Amino acid sequence: MKKESLLEVKNIKVEFGTNRKNKIVAVDGVSFKILKGESFGLVGESGSGKSTIGRAIIRIYDLADGVILYKGQRISGKISKSLDIDITKKIQMIFQDPIASLNERAKIGYIVSEGLYNTKYYISDEDRKEKVIKALLDVGLFPEFASRFPHEFSGGQRQRIGIARALIMEPELVIADEPVSALDVSVRAQVLNLLLELQDKLGLTYLFISHDLSVVRYITDRVAVIYKGKILELAKTEELFEKPLHPYTRALLSAIPVPDPRREKNKKIEIYNPSCHDYSIDKAEWVEVGSGHFVLANKKEIKEYRRILFS
Amino acid sequence: MKDDVILSVKDLVIKFNLRGRILTAIREVSLDIFRGESLAIVGESGSGKSVLVKSFIGLLDENGWIDSGKIIYKGTDISQYKSEQDWLKIRGREIAMVFQEPMTSLNPLKTIGSQIKETVILHSRLRSKAAKRKSIELLEDVGISQAEKRFTQYPHEFSGGMRQRVVIAIAIACNPSILICDEPTTALDVTIQAQILDLLKYLKVKYNLTIIFITHDLGVVANIADRVAVMYAGDIVEIGKSEEIFYNSQHPYTWALLSSLPQFAEKGKFLYSIDGMPTNLFNDIEGDAFAPRNKNALKIDYVIRPPYFSISPTHKARTWLLDKRAPKVHPPNSIKELHKNWRGNH
Ligand SMILES: Nc1ncnc2c1ncn2[C@@H]1O[C@H](COP(=O)(O)OP(=O)(O)OP(=O)(O)O)[C@@H](O)[C@H]1O
Ligand SMILES: [Mg+2]
Repeated sequence: MKKESLLEVKNIKVEFGTNRKNKIVAVDGVSFKILKGESFGLVGESGSGKSTIGRAIIRIYDLADGVILYKGQRISGKISKSLDIDITKKIQMIFQDPIASLNERAKIGYIVSEGLYNTKYYISDEDRKEKVIKALLDVGLFPEFASRFPHEFSGGQRQRIGIARALIMEPELVIADEPVSALDVSVRAQVLNLLLELQDKLGLTYLFISHDLSVVRYITDRVAVIYKGKILELAKTEELFEKPLHPYTRALLSAIPVPDPRREKNKKIEIYNPSCHDYSIDKAEWVEVGSGHFVLANKKEIKEYRRILFS
Repeated sequence: MKDDVILSVKDLVIKFNLRGRILTAIREVSLDIFRGESLAIVGESGSGKSVLVKSFIGLLDENGWIDSGKIIYKGTDISQYKSEQDWLKIRGREIAMVFQEPMTSLNPLKTIGSQIKETVILHSRLRSKAAKRKSIELLEDVGISQAEKRFTQYPHEFSGGMRQRVVIAIAIACNPSILICDEPTTALDVTIQAQILDLLKYLKVKYNLTIIFITHDLGVVANIADRVAVMYAGDIVEIGKSEEIFYNSQHPYTWALLSSLPQFAEKGKFLYSIDGMPTNLFNDIEGDAFAPRNKNALKIDYVIRPPYFSISPTHKARTWLLDKRAPKVHPPNSIKELHKNWRGNH
């Protein structure tokens, strides 16, 4: 049985800058589908465009080209007010820095309710309070915390508050942009466990954006590698880590430090040189080289990649 | 071996006054650092890693002080230093420090070149021209190409990795003996991080540096460290050669730390995570600080602070589990593979 796709990003382009001279193409011709109930990862280095894609999905940025579909319905560009409110509820975002993303002078109860206020997604104040309590309990915090301020909480607790803020909207798709990058090893483990637990319990779908490849390997089902605004490779997570095809993916994976001194001290790091491709005549295309394994490559490279994949 | 100790910390206690309440951040830490080694310090947030190393260069916050103990650097007890003048003899010249965010250690309004030159002039007797030459040499040394041109540029014209290289150039400008790096690669991408780690290893040899490296990334520790110190609640609970810590750890906190890494987890299964809250450093701690979060804690753990038990001449841990009367407790399954490495080779 094929799982249905929840979100479909088709050939999108995002540009910054007003006039032609200082125009930056942050995202260029990016396409992928996220299936219902899966965790989809987006990895790449800083400035590669990962966060821009996340923000384009929640309509913070406009598209210069392409289209984004949610359950088959277009949600990019001009849409109706009611669809806009609906999407705002169903697609929620969690940010990297739990400290910066919380308003220091507002109480936790208000911070967690903010989305409700914005979309008027509650019947009465009683109803709102009940929703806050439920969201806090869902992320393992005490309901009493509602009347306290952000600075009274540790980094891990603040990230839980950030998650509660998203959950209160009863979202279907959660975009997590570097949700654990600011946390230390032990707190990171707790927050990752919480994300897994919530996915089980609430049937959430995740778009997980991160530069931390060991976390991505652990938490995602499929992953796309992005470099300078373009997706270069997309595959099931295990397959991508076991059989990376694109030289950039290989370089990126080879650089991950391994917590094992003998392996780490003897490892060989590959360096990516974009000029290793000759696309002057034989142009690069986005092709499926193996089942569900896509890569940006020309005919000559595809042949080579297929050989690696099926050997 | 003994005379190879470049810095020796003895029974160090560091306290802070926070609005009238006293917090003990470092609790009787003793530590010998050997000339030419690279020592990594790991441990959860708030365990005292930064406070410990800042005390080596007199950079504790105003509300903090060394309550007792000694810090012997090349024969002098620098913990007695009171004045800024005293510390200026050490800071930068003898012990230099690199922080996580390179942007905050560089002045955005001054060119890269003038910032390096300033340091060179401050610490050497070189005149402007010679100082410039030396600065350009330093930039080349940290792997910045077209150093002459880069010399006149501003920090914002540099990428994150390049800025970190500049900060390192400034740190080594006065030929320090010890270089302390407090999470120098945390904000960087993995490929850039790998380059910075290689750079540090190159400089260590070229300039005969002793490196103290603080990080949360145990992969980075595996890359760079000769020895590893594991801190918990203001104390070093285990210390040993890198391989001893990764392949033959003995303290339940070290086990917990390694087990919480996603690299050792099975996909789809929950990650190992440490129960409970970090130890409250405002309270007096009785027994083993980690006991309340340790499933295998013994009765004695709540009463008497464990002494160090030696596992080898280079490896020791503060846990009652190593007492010969203690029951046998095995490390968690998730790090069994790591421990196999040990048995396989010894
Ligand atoms: N100026 C200060 N006033 C009061 N307490 C302080 C001060 N500086 C540090 N502390 C406390 O000392 C303890 C150790 O802090 P330290 O910064 O050394 O932790 P760390 O191990 O470096 O953590 P991280 O990994 O988050 O950098 C913490 O409990 C911290 O809150
Ligand atoms: Mg610190």
